[in-house]
Amino acid sequence: MSKLGNIPVNAQDGKKRTNPLAGVFDELVQFCQSRSMFMLHYCTGCGAIELPPAMTSRFDMERLGIQPMVTPRQADILLVTGYVSVKTLKRVILTYEQMQSPKYVIGICSCTVNGGMYWQSYATAKVLNEYLPVDVYIAGCMPRPEAVIEGMRRLMRNIEDGKGNAWKDYFQRYDYYLGNQQHLFGNDWQTPTDIIGEARHYGLESEETYGEHTKILEQHQQPLEPYKMRIKL
Amino acid sequence: MNSTSEFVTSEFVTGNVSLADVLPQMILMPLIAFVSGLLMILMYRKIAARLQRRVGPPFFQPVYDIVKLYGKKTQISHGLIHDIGIVVAVGGYVAAVILLPIPGMDGIADKGGIITLSYVLMVPSLGLALGVGQCANPNGSIGISRALTAMLAYDIPFIIVVFGVATHYQSTSLVGMINYQQTHQWGIFEMPLLAAAGLFTLQGMMGKHPFEIYVAPAEIATGPMVEMSGKYMGGLFVMQSFQFYVASVLYASLFLGGGSNWFEFLLKIFFVVEIPIFISFLFPRYRTEDMVRIMWKWPVMIALIGIAFVM
Repeated sequence: MSKLGNIPVNAQDGKKRTNPLAGVFDELVQFCQSRSMFMLHYCTGCGAIELPPAMTSRFDMERLGIQPMVTPRQADILLVTGYVSVKTLKRVILTYEQMQSPKYVIGICSCTVNGGMYWQSYATAKVLNEYLPVDVYIAGCMPRPEAVIEGMRRLMRNIEDGKGNAWKDYFQRYDYYLGNQQHLFGNDWQTPTDIIGEARHYGLESEETYGEHTKILEQHQQPLEPYKMRIKL
Repeated sequence: MNSTSEFVTSEFVTGNVSLADVLPQMILMPLIAFVSGLLMILMYRKIAARLQRRVGPPFFQPVYDIVKLYGKKTQISHGLIHDIGIVVAVGGYVAAVILLPIPGMDGIADKGGIITLSYVLMVPSLGLALGVGQCANPNGSIGISRALTAMLAYDIPFIIVVFGVATHYQSTSLVGMINYQQTHQWGIFEMPLLAAAGLFTLQGMMGKHPFEIYVAPAEIATGPMVEMSGKYMGGLFVMQSFQFYVASVLYASLFLGGGSNWFEFLLKIFFVVEIPIFISFLFPRYRTEDMVRIMWKWPVMIALIGIAFVM
């Protein structure tokens, strides 16, 4: 199990920063990233019921710069609000991989932390951060909107301090996450997003990106083909 | 009309403008438009929040959003046309901004005139359509086909209004129209019917409720924007701020006499943009075919009657 908030970041940025103002600029970008978060809420379980009061007039998340977005391409935060069954987890992973970095995952409710009341269920993925790098957990069954907003503020502080780097972990230790995913879904599990290719392209790979599980993936991976356009007559 | 017959356009059209005068204006005008557009977006979100009894976003929220989107580390490009489409969409509005006179700066407004402007205003939608087309996302295709149909719907009354105003002033120069209105009377008092039809068109042009079906976040996942990530989405946010500015300045120039000084000008454009915002949070959506029907019926009818009065 990966440690939350203590993720070693060992990949180096490819290019040297020569501009003396680069540090200031990075801090500005980090500040803006923490103050503007588009949220994709994957409402799986009962925790979703706490989000409407957090977003609407009672608690109003928009004053923190958090607003709902509807597609993974535009979103920054993936909210997983409850238990994830094995089938759901596939969709969550597909969604997560389509999001653009930097991206953050928040697990709401006890079910994402340790399975909660579904501990004995055969069909539930218990610990979410074995399959995805989770930035913040908000425990509770269910957490009240105050707790949700407190969790969001924790994430904002992490991003502002430059500690919200869990998304890099997914690229750097892809083999670990892929292994856990294969354990649940079988060896022929693959997603349309080429994580290894992305890690290579953006210079985020490390030696743990590759391993026995990525070898299995390469054996089973079928190259994606563009969807054929057909007109039904 | 007799009252406008003494109005001479030739001095505005043939005015000799050197490149050294125009070039700083061509840089400054989009910047002013961008800043005012950001403030308009802030106003839009603040009014939405206050109507829903919320606090709303902080003052710099539109800036945070754009900086964040441009600061994304990974991007998904679907090809060259996807990249170019966004540039065309933003560039179309930048070109439109240079054609809109503001206090102290005319840009190339007296060279272009209102007919060029109404052509240029169609470029952003077409650029967006090009870009979205290459994404090959079904939601995007549905969204952009709806957006182009909506453009067809509001462009007919828009063109009628523009030509009605041009007929009334016997001119196609925005600079001339503004000068005339500042010395005589505002257009809204001389052609109230055209002004009403123009306000109707403005609602469609800004793409807000009740004519917002092509975005429809819950149904087709924001339509044209569905595949836009990072810098592409940032480009669209920039485009939206220009869109607010262009629509309001155009209306203020045609009917409210532009602005003789900056205070008056800003007051007018923010007032103009406020009306569609308030309307948009009071109504649900029309379907696309209903939008075409309502746009081709009421504003067209009002505008045609308005033209009959100014002829």
